[in-house]
Amino acid sequence: MDLFGSYALLVAFAFALYAIFGGIAAIITRRPLLIKSARNAGFAVCVLIWIGIASLWYLFFTDNFSMAYVAAHSNRALSPYYKFSALWSGQEGSLLFWSFILSVYVFSVLFTYRGRHPELMPYVGVVLAGVQTFFLILNNFIASPFQVIVGHDAAGLLHLATRADGSGLNPLLQYPEMAIHPPTLYSGYTGFTIPFAFALAALLGRYPGEKWIHLTRRWTMIAWAFQSAGILLGAHWAYAVLGWGGYWGWDPVENASLMPWLTGTAFLHSVIMQEKRGMMRVWNVWLVFLTFMLCILGTSLTRSGAVNSVHAFAESNIGHWFWGFLLTILIVCVAAYIKNRDYLRSDNQLDSMLSRESSFLFNNLILLVACVAVLAGTLFPVLSEAVRGSKISVGPPFFNRVNIPIALFLLFLTGVGPLLAWRKTSTASLRKNFGGPLIGGFVAAGVAVALGLREFYVTLCLLLSVFVTLTILSEFYRGARVISARTGANLFSAVSQLTMRNTRRYGGYVVHFGMVLVFIGICGQAFNQDKQMDMSPGSSMTLGPYRLYLQNYDSTQEPNYSAERASIDVEKGGRSVMMLYPTRRFYPSNQESGTMVAIASTLREDLYVVYAGTNPDTNLPVIHAYLNPLVKWIWLGGAVVVLGTLLALLPNRQAVMVLSTVGAEQTLPVPGSTQAAQVPYSARSQLPDSHD
Amino acid sequence: MTSRWKLGLVCAVCIGLASALVPLHVDAQKTDRAKALGTKLMCMCGCGQILTQCNHINCPSSGPMLKELDAHVAKGEADDLIIQDFVQEYGEKVLSEPPSRGFNSIAWYIPGAAFAIGLGIVIMLIRLWRQRDVARLATASSAPAATQDAAAELHDIQIERARRQADRDTED
Repeated sequence: MDLFGSYALLVAFAFALYAIFGGIAAIITRRPLLIKSARNAGFAVCVLIWIGIASLWYLFFTDNFSMAYVAAHSNRALSPYYKFSALWSGQEGSLLFWSFILSVYVFSVLFTYRGRHPELMPYVGVVLAGVQTFFLILNNFIASPFQVIVGHDAAGLLHLATRADGSGLNPLLQYPEMAIHPPTLYSGYTGFTIPFAFALAALLGRYPGEKWIHLTRRWTMIAWAFQSAGILLGAHWAYAVLGWGGYWGWDPVENASLMPWLTGTAFLHSVIMQEKRGMMRVWNVWLVFLTFMLCILGTSLTRSGAVNSVHAFAESNIGHWFWGFLLTILIVCVAAYIKNRDYLRSDNQLDSMLSRESSFLFNNLILLVACVAVLAGTLFPVLSEAVRGSKISVGPPFFNRVNIPIALFLLFLTGVGPLLAWRKTSTASLRKNFGGPLIGGFVAAGVAVALGLREFYVTLCLLLSVFVTLTILSEFYRGARVISARTGANLFSAVSQLTMRNTRRYGGYVVHFGMVLVFIGICGQAFNQDKQMDMSPGSSMTLGPYRLYLQNYDSTQEPNYSAERASIDVEKGGRSVMMLYPTRRFYPSNQESGTMVAIASTLREDLYVVYAGTNPDTNLPVIHAYLNPLVKWIWLGGAVVVLGTLLALLPNRQAVMVLSTVGAEQTLPVPGSTQAAQVPYSARSQLPDSHD
Repeated sequence: MTSRWKLGLVCAVCIGLASALVPLHVDAQKTDRAKALGTKLMCMCGCGQILTQCNHINCPSSGPMLKELDAHVAKGEADDLIIQDFVQEYGEKVLSEPPSRGFNSIAWYIPGAAFAIGLGIVIMLIRLWRQRDVARLATASSAPAATQDAAAELHDIQIERARRQADRDTED
């Protein structure tokens, strides 16, 4: 059983090679049997990877410490929950986990489109198998999680060895979110493989028109939603576990996850231009290529040790493989583009500077500049070391200074874009659409300044947040009013109908609103307060409106760790409002410590208390308390972003109605044309410009 | 919805957001000099955090560095001098952002350069695409010189294009 998974991965590798070469042969010969055979090989690869990972989980749950990876990342006292998540806590296991999630995507794609799009799918299968092959090379030959422990006896003969117990899991990873955050983020990273495969396949196969965009739209949105949720879960994990009072430190690994998110966001916007106007074909293909390459770059940064990071795995030479893979992708993409660039030629035309098209161009520009700024800051220490021989630091002050103006401009465009019409926006329309929201924004900023707010960026962010919120509300209101007038439904019901008629567009607005909430939450950072004190039992400290009394501190013994815990009574306005128990844990298996931060979270602020250990000079517990305003808005905003994306993934209601009426065998009318057939022209003319 | 309702909604959003942020300003802490200086320095334990934010348990660097910083501030030394002392002791790596002179200043120019280049490309594209549109319209307007059949055909093509565009604009 020990090596069962290893064999499964080896066979998977062989099948992946077959899927590539069989697929290429199928493309050349166009023989249906070969096409089917290559596709079935793709299915087999996925199933074998699932067997491989199931086998590794089995080894974890059975405490098989003859396996080096299990012994290094688990121990007998570790709870089953963390034995499950320990699988991806190290380099080898996390790479297998990457292969596993990728295989779920690949299986879903091959299954969903089996027997459809015969001109495109063989190419897609080959590209996907190519990516899988790279990761299977790592899983089998470079970083196998199935390596056994080898010892030698007195005579120097080698033999298999078993450790009595494992080293245990890193304390920082013994937190419930660690069972959610990596799978979510990996689902984002690997999910971008699907649009990449379709884009490259469409280019290689000269697949006509915008079809590949339609096919991958939902896959891209799923990947994007996972990436968004993964980033925010990571931020929440950092906030709740690392105990430094913040959630985003511009760490290289955090940046690595942000970069594909930025380009992915740009793609989700610019792709609309291609769908609606047939524009930006070259740009969209390259944006997908870039997003995928940034995903690979991101994971290589985490794994190669090229940059310093608290998140990084141990330094290893695996980075060379990733650089090689990146170079290969780049060469393939460039070659495919040069060979077939004529196919991407589009008749780009722009009627006016004041148009939706222009706003998308600027949106893409800003997102790409943000990506370049983050990439430059992340890699500059490496460049500096290569050129000058000494490393420098590029810390949060640099990223904040560069990215805050960019982010605010993006927030501005979030409000402006949806209100501009396709082709051309008249001055009268501008006045009508922007007047109210702009006035609202200035009123809010004016009120804030009058009340004493002086931070420039916070005031600007407030202005823009109100502006964007009002533009979103006005979009819902204008559309709902037309439906309400036509059907007699009340406004809330009309909003619901409106949303379900064009889920992509209105789901998009919900996502924008979620981003507004995130921005407001980030603004709160400007007002953070903190205080650190050596506290004896009975002593107190004051932070903002709170007074913290240390009642006592005690210690407990758990199966996997010992814990020191402070009991803190929190008073507000002279009366006790809650008890907080910040804890410090010590894990004997790996001789490491970890914090369990006590957080009292409200919409207004988080009271965040850390038991920072005992001061060796005074022998008193050190309590570090933070008052972090509006942090909850960030998590709330993240939830709204995910909900909005889910909403955008739903099929439009009219399409569903048509399906139930005409039956599945008949060709579905385009949702837009259905609407045109059902809505009288006079009513249609009152609807706001339909756009996404 | 009446205009009074609309006004109420606008006011509610404005006041809601403003009132969420403003009281925080009143509570905001006054950062002392050591804290402000601490944000310009990195903790040297390898955590990648700025000095005042690193509170890793048993961090071998942040405690002594903060004590050193406090000592410099207590002596009343100038900010630049304190930072310079840290650079001499730990190297340029101790600075939390790249210096604004020499080779490392390039880091500051990259985002701006990317923006300038990108903006130039976007403006160029917009101008190019608008010229194409103008050219297309000019070609269309010269069409009446052709035969009536050709004009009718052109008209049909334009109508069909407009219809397809309308379909695209109103679809999902």
